[in-house]
Amino acid sequence: MGRIKTIARRSFLVGSAAILGGVAFGTYMYKREVENPLEAGLAPGEVTFNPFVKIDAQGVTLITPRADVGQGAYSIQAHLIAEELDVDLDQVRIEPGPPSAAYYNGVVAAEGMPIAATSDSMMARAGRGASDVLGKLMGLQLTGGSTTVPDMYDRLRLAGAVARETLIAAAAEQTGLPKDQLRTQAGAVVLPDGTALAYTDLSSVAAEIPVVQDVSLRDPSSWRHLGKPHMRTDMLAKSTGTQSYGIDMQMEGMLHATTRTNPALGGGILGFDPGEAEGMRGVKAIVPITGGIAVVADNTWRAFQAAQAVSCDWGPSPYIGDTEDQFAAAAASFTEDAQDSRFKDEGDVVAALEGAADVLEAEYRIPYLAHAPLEPMSAMVLLSADRLDIWTGTQIPRFMQQAAAAIAGLEPDQVHVHALMSGGSFGRRLEDDYVRQAVEIALQLPDVPIKMVWSREEDMTHDFPRPLAVARARGAVSDGAVEAFDLSIAAPSVTASSLARLGQPAMGPDVAIVAGAWDQPFGIPNYRVTGYRVPPMVPVSSWRSVGASGNGFLHESFLDELCHAAAVDPLAERLRLCSHDVSRKVLETVGEMSGWGSDLGPGRGRGIAFTLAFGVPVAQVVEVTDVQGAIRIDKVFVAADVGRVLDPVNFEAQLAGGVIWGLGHAMNCEITYRDGVAEQDNFHAFEGMRLYQTPQIEVRGLENGDKIKGIGEPGVPPAAPALGNAIFAATGQRIRTLPFANHIDFL
Amino acid sequence: MSVTREEGLAAWERIYAVASHPRCTNCHVGASGVPMWEGLSYGPGAAHGMGIRADASRIGAQSIPCRTCHLTTDSPNSQPHAPPRIAQAWRLPPVELDWLGKDSAALCAQLRDPATNDGNDIAGLVAHLQSSPFVAWGFAPGGGRSFPAGSVAELAEDVALWGRAGTPCE
Amino acid sequence: MKLIVNGKTHEVDVEDDMPLLWVLRDELGITGPKYGCGIAQCGACTVHVDGISVRSCQLAAADVDGEITTIEGLGNPLALHAVQEAWMEHQVAQCGYCQSGQIMQAASFLALNPAPTDDQIDAAMSGNLCRCGTYPRIRAAVKTAASRL
Repeated sequence: MGRIKTIARRSFLVGSAAILGGVAFGTYMYKREVENPLEAGLAPGEVTFNPFVKIDAQGVTLITPRADVGQGAYSIQAHLIAEELDVDLDQVRIEPGPPSAAYYNGVVAAEGMPIAATSDSMMARAGRGASDVLGKLMGLQLTGGSTTVPDMYDRLRLAGAVARETLIAAAAEQTGLPKDQLRTQAGAVVLPDGTALAYTDLSSVAAEIPVVQDVSLRDPSSWRHLGKPHMRTDMLAKSTGTQSYGIDMQMEGMLHATTRTNPALGGGILGFDPGEAEGMRGVKAIVPITGGIAVVADNTWRAFQAAQAVSCDWGPSPYIGDTEDQFAAAAASFTEDAQDSRFKDEGDVVAALEGAADVLEAEYRIPYLAHAPLEPMSAMVLLSADRLDIWTGTQIPRFMQQAAAAIAGLEPDQVHVHALMSGGSFGRRLEDDYVRQAVEIALQLPDVPIKMVWSREEDMTHDFPRPLAVARARGAVSDGAVEAFDLSIAAPSVTASSLARLGQPAMGPDVAIVAGAWDQPFGIPNYRVTGYRVPPMVPVSSWRSVGASGNGFLHESFLDELCHAAAVDPLAERLRLCSHDVSRKVLETVGEMSGWGSDLGPGRGRGIAFTLAFGVPVAQVVEVTDVQGAIRIDKVFVAADVGRVLDPVNFEAQLAGGVIWGLGHAMNCEITYRDGVAEQDNFHAFEGMRLYQTPQIEVRGLENGDKIKGIGEPGVPPAAPALGNAIFAATGQRIRTLPFANHIDFL
Repeated sequence: MSVTREEGLAAWERIYAVASHPRCTNCHVGASGVPMWEGLSYGPGAAHGMGIRADASRIGAQSIPCRTCHLTTDSPNSQPHAPPRIAQAWRLPPVELDWLGKDSAALCAQLRDPATNDGNDIAGLVAHLQSSPFVAWGFAPGGGRSFPAGSVAELAEDVALWGRAGTPCE
Repeated sequence: MKLIVNGKTHEVDVEDDMPLLWVLRDELGITGPKYGCGIAQCGACTVHVDGISVRSCQLAAADVDGEITTIEGLGNPLALHAVQEAWMEHQVAQCGYCQSGQIMQAASFLALNPAPTDDQIDAAMSGNLCRCGTYPRIRAAVKTAASRL
């Protein structure tokens, strides 16, 4: 398998047969060339070499199909192509492209498999290969799981190289010069005499010759942009207010809509009376939609006002409605019947605990959390007799296309999804509920562009939150060492809940219930992690770093408790237990960065935590000061290994952002329900972190890992436990239920 | 018209009930310049969110002006959790009028002495209560905010009565 | 009613209590100011009225008593304001949705207080929410801009 993988890496050609995994699975379907969706829309004189590059006399267009939700995906995808194509990014157009199977995600499915990132076993490799097969066969166009870079690293560079070599061949054809005398630079093929033939002028010749598929990738040592700090392609627009998000779309004659659905989730609407809303200024229509109503008006604010004036008869939520009962349901799920997985079972935990003089036991709780991207859910839709256009920010354009087609009674290819920059997502745009609503409105008001915008209250109370969890941990120590670690986690299944809404089956155990806990590179002699599946309650979904977002807290807080019980240094013990060299270096690095072990002075404390998630080992040290009973977070040190850092500037931004996301929610945030209604409906009650609470953050990237990985999510999981462990170090108070602010004040 | 000491003390009790209500103490904070957010849903002891400080200027001149969010307008205060607004520039009272957390005796002593109440005699205090849009707002803050019992007129009357009784404290 | 936005006079026919944010976005098509919360909790809608930062979701159209500047009027891609230059230099933005408001807040703040302390920067900028967590770079960019203004 190792050799096949190597060959695959070398010979995997964009738009042609890929061989990875092809032996074991439906070979024909898998090896079949993916269609290039750009061919359908080619104008005369335009040429496309693969699904990622299009050139005409006017310019070069790079297709960056992974959604940009703020993580810089458009920019890094464009840089990957440009590194091989030799174009300057200020000279090209960058477009997300249409929904297409060609843009399948070949690695994300592996996140749903119980494969430890540290494992290179045959099964692990087969699983990763199967992920590519699954992704391709399903045409799984999805942005998530920090997969954009690992999935696109080779594909986009190959796409750039294929285009470059074909343009060189076209120049050779046109000039009669041999190819090896031609080179490329800044969007042109350069002849030996220095004459530059612009790619745009070569497009018509290139269109007539076969695409050159036999290409090789440049060695990283010769990269001009990748691996070095570079300017994100969206930075100027985002610094000048000229970046257009879904909510900013404008079209001639458009109307503005908003929706109001039952705040008691899933309760539906029994009836409604528009009352005075109908006569309010600017109101064009008040229409029923699934679970509620929509108001269409000539201005968003007027639609907001009118929606509140409609009298709605809501049904009761079918879910367990109160948060204390939701936690009780989770706490009642530690049963044999509800056991979902036990991927980690080393040594003999039961015997070790029975034989231990003291068994440390603790219960932990983590709350529901909302995504609440700052741009509320919105979509522009235009439905005509045989065509539906949708403009919105989305991580799942193909699923959305299919869902919209089904609602509108059209074929998927009649639905044109125009993906736009998203004002944040954090997993929220893996759902298409808002677009379904917009299409339902359009069905009742066809032939007019309608921009639907949710109020913040609608957005926050109709999220699919990160699920709550209850964990029971038991452990034992002896002779200054952690001997037994037994963690049981009960949580609802994110995977089953999300996939059901996408019309996909979810088979087998849900790795998300234990991700970030079962797969950690520690050789604790007696080590067990068990997942329990809580019956479905309010629908839940992926939230930045998914299962690891909470499981990192559970695993690392309890490991810290055991270290203290054993009277061993928490970093030294992790280093002793660490079974993975790349992870060990990350731990050593954060120790060195933070001056671990030095005296911080009175009232201060530092905590360490480590999580390996999405294949990226991340270690964090948090320093806090106890200021008369209130905690100030002073500094956070972060070390992470993604194998290869493509843009150190954005790498640092994503890790710092991940730390702030992890800390802010752990400190300040929870979503609680009363009668199925989320009790937090705006940022006064769910604010994450603000600037005044933000610590200094120092980041270091390591490149020892053998695979390139993404960094959007892995910074999140260790932040909360590192903070909790620091609070314990400073105050002696061990907080096992999030958010921390329910138990201790922060400055 | 003579007023007994008992009547004066009873008036002070009513005054203190108002003055110690979060609607008043949230702004009558001291040199820290940190307004409070008590009496809504943020819990006891909750400071104004967002790390806000009005500074020595009392209007946030050195950091963020209060009026960036608390607009100067007589528009109604109907949205819960939106910043309250009145037809005067939003600001904190002078540092001298700091009584957050003070008990009845301490506040009484502070308010009856012009040296510690920003230079007001009783007539001055009554005039402040009757004319301040902040005080008027405090009795009708809108947006689901709690407010003290009584009214501006009753409070002003009590202060006058307390004054005529010789500002008894205990 | 008449509104002066970025130096240009607009006649708009809206309710007195329509928030300026929605007049700008939906009536005038000026989309730099963003809707994030509607209750002055996030700052994404921040504009200037006579140079002072104001949450435009809270300012009723009839209460506008000065000239409005939005991010579009602060600078433009060819002529950046010093704050925008600093934002570029530090590559502050991630999703970018809050950054119009952050930049407008910072520009107003630095005009009032050109030599701020670190604590003042924290207090001035904490009313503007950023869900992506760009705060360390916001701090750095405000300092850079202050050093040049």
